[in-house]
Amino acid sequence: MKEWYDAIQEAQSVERLEEIRISVFGKKGVLAAEFVKMKKAPNEEKATIAKELNTHKANLMSEFTARKIVLQTQELQKAMQAEAIDVSLFSTNSQAGALHPVMETMDRIVEYFSSMNFAVKTGQIVEDDFNNFEALNLPKYHPARDMQDTFYFKDEMLLRTHTSPVQIRTMMNTKPPIRMIAPGAVFRRDYDLTHTPMFHQIEGLVVDDAGKVSFANLKFILEDFLKYMFGDVEVRFRPSFFPFTEPSAEVDISCVFCQGEGCRVCSKTGWLEVLGCGIVDPNVFEAVRYKDVSGYAFGLGVERFAMLIHHIGDLRSLFEGDIKLLEQFQ
Amino acid sequence: MIVTKSWLNEWIDLEGHSTEEIAKTFNAIGLEVDRVHTYSIPEKIVFGKVLECVKHPDADKLNICQVDIGTSTRQIVCGASNVRAGLDVVVATIGAVMPNGMQIKPVKLRGVESEGMICSASEIGLEDISQGIVELDSSIGAFHLGQEVRENPILNDDLIELELTANRGDCLSVRGVARDLSAAFNKPIKEYNYEDNDEKRGIGRILSLHSEKDLDVSVCYKALDLKDLKLPLIVKLRLAQINENRETDIESILLYTTHASGVILRAYSHQYFCEKEDDVMATVTLSENEDGYACVRGKSTASTIGVIQYDDSKLQESRGVVLLEASYVPPDIISKKMADHKIEAGPMFYKTSRGSEPELSGGLGYCIEFIAAHSASTTFGGNIKLSYNVKEKIVIINQQEIDEIIGASIDKGIISNILKNLGFDISKSSSENFIVQVPQFRHDIEHKQDIIEEIVRMVGIDNIPSKPLVLKEDNRLEDDYFTYKKRSVYRHRAAQSGFFESVHFVFDEKKTLNTYGFETTKEELELLNPIVQTLDTLRPTLLTGMLKAASNNVKNGYKSVKLFEIGSVFTPLREESSNMAFLFSGAIEPESLANSGKPQEVDFAAFVQKVSDVIGRIELREYTTQHTLSHPYQTAQVFMNNQAVGELFRVHPEVEKAYDLPTTFMCELDFSKIEYRLKTAQKSSKYQASFRDLSLIMPQDMSYQSVKDVIQKSATAELIRFYPVDKYSDESLGEHMSLSLRFVLQSEEKTLEEEEITKSMDTILDALKSELGIGLR
Ligand SMILES: [Zn+2]
Repeated sequence: MKEWYDAIQEAQSVERLEEIRISVFGKKGVLAAEFVKMKKAPNEEKATIAKELNTHKANLMSEFTARKIVLQTQELQKAMQAEAIDVSLFSTNSQAGALHPVMETMDRIVEYFSSMNFAVKTGQIVEDDFNNFEALNLPKYHPARDMQDTFYFKDEMLLRTHTSPVQIRTMMNTKPPIRMIAPGAVFRRDYDLTHTPMFHQIEGLVVDDAGKVSFANLKFILEDFLKYMFGDVEVRFRPSFFPFTEPSAEVDISCVFCQGEGCRVCSKTGWLEVLGCGIVDPNVFEAVRYKDVSGYAFGLGVERFAMLIHHIGDLRSLFEGDIKLLEQFQ
Repeated sequence: MIVTKSWLNEWIDLEGHSTEEIAKTFNAIGLEVDRVHTYSIPEKIVFGKVLECVKHPDADKLNICQVDIGTSTRQIVCGASNVRAGLDVVVATIGAVMPNGMQIKPVKLRGVESEGMICSASEIGLEDISQGIVELDSSIGAFHLGQEVRENPILNDDLIELELTANRGDCLSVRGVARDLSAAFNKPIKEYNYEDNDEKRGIGRILSLHSEKDLDVSVCYKALDLKDLKLPLIVKLRLAQINENRETDIESILLYTTHASGVILRAYSHQYFCEKEDDVMATVTLSENEDGYACVRGKSTASTIGVIQYDDSKLQESRGVVLLEASYVPPDIISKKMADHKIEAGPMFYKTSRGSEPELSGGLGYCIEFIAAHSASTTFGGNIKLSYNVKEKIVIINQQEIDEIIGASIDKGIISNILKNLGFDISKSSSENFIVQVPQFRHDIEHKQDIIEEIVRMVGIDNIPSKPLVLKEDNRLEDDYFTYKKRSVYRHRAAQSGFFESVHFVFDEKKTLNTYGFETTKEELELLNPIVQTLDTLRPTLLTGMLKAASNNVKNGYKSVKLFEIGSVFTPLREESSNMAFLFSGAIEPESLANSGKPQEVDFAAFVQKVSDVIGRIELREYTTQHTLSHPYQTAQVFMNNQAVGELFRVHPEVEKAYDLPTTFMCELDFSKIEYRLKTAQKSSKYQASFRDLSLIMPQDMSYQSVKDVIQKSATAELIRFYPVDKYSDESLGEHMSLSLRFVLQSEEKTLEEEEITKSMDTILDALKSELGIGLR
C-alpha cells in the first residue's frame, strides 16, 4: 500500500490523480483486489485484515482529497496566470462627451437662483426698440446707447443687446411681486479678442411694494451668489451708472488668479469686475406702468464667469465647437 | 478721463493724500480707475543751464556745451538739434541710471570729453513731447540749477486714468473730478475768479453780439490782442499725458484749458466777423440753421455750438485780435438733435453731449489768465454774453425714502454734508424734507433716486450692511423653467453619450445656406448691419455651423468628431424656435488595442443608436430633405410616438469633400417636439415571453417599412414587438434577399401554447403573402 501513498503525494496533475484514484478505488483497483484476497484468508484473520484495509481506504481517500485540492488550486493559478494582462496598456480616457463650459456655467447660475425661488424667463432674441431700449430708460438720443452697438433689421426690429427686455415683457404681463432671472444669448456689434457678436447674459429682477426692496437686499443676494460661484472671495461694490438702475453699482471679486495680489488678468488691481446691479430706475417702472413699487436688478456675462472659473483665455474659441477646448471638460 | 495729481492739486489741496488713497477713493465714489501710472524720474538728473554751445569740430550733428549744473559746470556733448546757449535743460549727471537702464559715465565723443547727457522728455521716462531736448520754462514752477528734477511735482507726477460712466459729463474736466473728490475728502475746492481790469479797452468797442431768436445755448466772449505766444512746457507735457495734440499753439492752449476747467472754449479771428478788411467792429450773430442747431455766424458759419468749429474761422496764426468764446448747450438737447439730424462733429462733441461745464466765465477767465501769463498779450475789458433761461431743478426727498431705498438708516447730518459738498443747495430744507436744488452742472440728477445714489456713493456701499429680502413665497416654477430644465436634461444625456456640446452664433452665411437649399430670412426682414459677410443672416439650421466645426476639428487632427447643439433657429419670417442637432464624423471609436489601431468608420446603424441613446425610442422612415446636405439614399425622417420630429442622414459625399470630412452623419430635430414628461410604468405580464424567428424572402428594393406596416396591421394581440436581426443575399436569391425577423409574443393571461404561437405567426404570414406577395424561404 505504501507505494500508493507515495503515488498520491507525487501526483503532479489532477489527471494523474484521477488515474491513481481508479487504480486504488476502482472496481478493478488495488483495494478491491485486496478485499477479494481477504475473502480467501482464514476466518480468524479476516476481521483484522478488513480493519486494516478499511483504515487504508479511509487514509488514502483523505490523502487523495487533500492532494486534489492542492492540485486544483495549482491548476487554477496556472490557468489564471496564463490569462495575465498588462493592465498598464489599458489606461484610458473617458469616452463621454462634455457640456460646453459657458452652458455649464449658465446651468450653475440658474441652479443657484432657482433654488432661491427666482422664476426663469427666457424671452425672444429678436426684439423691438421699446423693450430693448425705450422702456429701459434708454431713449434714442441717450449717450449710453452708443455703448451698445446694436444689430438692426431692415424693419427696425433688432437683436436684443441684453436680456433686460425679458424683464420688461414680464413686468408688462404680470403684477408684482416679481422675482425672476432671464438667461440667454445677447448681441452686440463687436468682434475682437475680448468681444464676440453673440454672448450670454443672466439678468435678475426683484419687484415688490414701495419701501420693501432695498440696496441692502441686493447686496445680500449678490454677495451670497458670488461666494457660491467663486468660493471664498472678497466682494466689493463700486458705485457706477446704468440707465435702468439708480443707484447703480459694479461688483468686483478679489482676483481668483492672484488672490488679490495683482496680476495680468486683473490689470494689477487685484480685483475682477463681474456684475452690474442697482435699484430699478423709476423711469423703468413708469414705462411698464407700475406704481408704488420698489425693486432691484442685476446682470452678468456668462462667458466672463466661465472664463474666470475655468481659466479660459480666448473668448472666440468658445464658439467654434473646438474639441481641443471642450474635451478638457469631460 | 485722465488727470494727474499735480493737475488736481491746482483745484483741491491734496497735501497728505497718497496717490493710492486717491485712486481708492475714486473707485469708492464711482469714478472707476482704469490705470495709475507714476512718472518716476531717476536720481542724479538735475536742472541745468546751457552756458555755451559750439559745434563739434569733427561731427556735424554734435554740439559741445558748457552746462551749469549748480555745483559745477560740465562739458557735455549733445546731438539734439534744438540745443543752444541760454536754454534751461534737464541734465543726467555722472552716475545717473536712466529708465532704460543705461548708466551715465564720462565718455569721449569723437575725441571730446562729455560728462553727462542733456535729456529729452522720453529719455527721463516722461511722455514723448517732441524731438529734441526738453526746453524748461517757468510753467513747471520754480526750480534752481542743480536741483533734482524728481523733486518737481509737475514733471515727477502720478497719472490716473478714469473710466467715466456716460452720466458723469461733469467729471470730464480736472476741475469736475476735483469737485467730486472734494465731497469725498470733505475739503473745499479752489475757485479761480478772474479779476477784470477796468482800465483796459472795453470789448464793446470791437464786438457786438446778435441773436436771431431764443436759443437753448449760453455763450460768453472775451477779446484779446495775442502777442508772442509761446507754448509753455506744462501744456506740452500734459497734452502728451492725455494723449492729445493740436496743430497750433492757441488750439493746444484751448484744449488744455478746456480739459482743466470743463468749459468748451474756441478762438476766432476777430477779422472773420468784420464786414470789411479794416473794420474795427465785429458782429457775431447767433442763429438757428435748418437742422435746428444753434450756429455762430460771421462771414460764413463759424461754428455749430456744441458740435464743431469750421476750419476757415480758426486762427491762421497765434497773434492779432482774437475772440475767445466759451459756450454751453444742455447735453440732452444736443444729443437729441444729433440723433435726429446727424451732422459732422468735432472733437469736443463728446464733452458737450455728456454735459460740459455751464459756468462759463470761470473757464474763460482761467484761459485768459493762462495766456496772459505765457505771452505778451493784452486783454480787452469786460465780456459779452448771452444765457438761456435755465430751469431750476429741485428734488424733494425725506429721510424715510432715503432709508428705505438704501436699506439702512443714514444720519441726517451726514446726508446734509454730502449734498452740500457736492454743490447742492439744501438751504430751503424743512425739518421733514430735504429740498435739494440741483446745480446746473449735474445734468444727471433728476429724481429722488439720483439724490440717493449720491448719498450711497459718498457713504460707501461697503458701509451699507447686507440684508436678506423677505418676499411673499410663491411657486415660481413655470413653463420657461421647465423648458430650461428639459434642455439641461437632454444636454447631459448627449454629453454622457459621447457628444461634445457646441455653441455657435445664431448668424450664418446667407450664400452658403442658399447654396445648400436652405431658405433664409426674407429680404425685407434681413439684418441691416451684419458684422461680417460670413455672418450676414439668421441661421435656419444648426447643421452648417456644425459642419464647419467638424471640419476644423478634423483639420486639428481629430479622427472622430461627435458634436451636439441645442440652439435657436429662425424661419424666413424670423420666427424663433429651438432645434437640437447631432453630428458624428469619422472613426466610431478611438484607436486602441481592441481595434488594432484601425477603428471602423461610423455607420448608419451606429449613429441611429447614438441618437436614440440620447433622445429615446425613435422610428425612421424614408425621406427626402429640403436641403442638399444629405446623401439621397441614406436619409430618414425621425418619428417619436408617431410624430415627425426631424431628420437624420448621412452627409452627401460632395459635402463631405467640400468640408474635408470623413464619413459623417447628422441629425436635426425640432426640440419642442421632443417629449419631456414623466414616464408611466406599463403593466407587464408575469407569463413567459416566446420568441420566433422568420426569414422572409423579399425583393431587394422592397422597403422594410411596407413589411412593418403589414405586420403591425395583421398581428394578434400577443405580438409584443418584432425587429430585424439579419439580412442576407447571394447569387442564388437573385433580385431577392432574405430578411430575418424576430417576433416576441406574450400573453397577459397565460403562458402561450405552441399552437397559439403558430396560429399568430400564420396570420402574419398570410397577410404578407396576400398583401406583398412575400413569404418564407
Ligand atoms: Zn489678479
